[in-house]
Amino acid sequence: MALSGGMVIWGLLTTAVNQPPYKAQLLYAAGVEIVTVVQSIVGFVGIARGFRPEEFGTTIGYLIGILVLIPAAWFWANVERTRYSGLVLAVAGLAVSVMTLRLMQLWVPA
Amino acid sequence: MTSPTPAGGTPSSDPATPETSAGQPVTERTTRSGPGKVLVAVYGVFALAACSRAAVQLITRFDEAPLAYLLSALAGVIYVIATIMLARGTRTSRRVATVAIVVELVGVLTIGTFSVLDPAAFPRATVWSAYGSGYGYVPLVLPILGLWWLYATRPGRPARS
Repeated sequence: MALSGGMVIWGLLTTAVNQPPYKAQLLYAAGVEIVTVVQSIVGFVGIARGFRPEEFGTTIGYLIGILVLIPAAWFWANVERTRYSGLVLAVAGLAVSVMTLRLMQLWVPA
Repeated sequence: MTSPTPAGGTPSSDPATPETSAGQPVTERTTRSGPGKVLVAVYGVFALAACSRAAVQLITRFDEAPLAYLLSALAGVIYVIATIMLARGTRTSRRVATVAIVVELVGVLTIGTFSVLDPAAFPRATVWSAYGSGYGYVPLVLPILGLWWLYATRPGRPARS
């Protein structure tokens, strides 16, 4: 969550200084995505081992849905690289943060 | 609507859309460029959120509140349409987007009002319940921003230099 929060801040910064996202920023977003994938894998392993979160369906939906956000934002930010590309990455970072927070709330036994 | 400006239109000197790093000038002022890019991204997030929520609700608990869940699905579909149409940014897609976003605005106001006045009718939450309070009221603000953006980018308005 702190990582995706970093994506939000960095995205806001490059927008504020009127720059398209830096290469390092895109690499960082890719890094956050990898962590997110690991998080989802850990989640699914937990479920496969018999853990049943309170809202089973919602949790599954979050674990899958959270993965598409950063790739989609990456693509959309690069279609036309302007200062707003950073804001697009920030939106995705915020969504990933919120979804991670929700996942942690949901991750209690039924 | 009077101007025949096509989507792949004329170069504009819009200060909000500077040249890209590749050196190509940003040529058009459509719903997808500049700040519109961010709008599309937010719409995309809500399309995902509303659709997945509706899918989970319809699959697992359809009997509990069919109306609310179908409305969730409708909201999801509208977000998807708005996202795609704003992302395409052609003249036709502008019209479709306008219709979709008006429906969205009416939806969030109607559902929001009903869910506040008569909570029993909406025992289960949708994205639009209580004006989208579960989503930081973004569902209420989003259609207003969307309509404003369609208005701001309407064909014929930018001075064709």
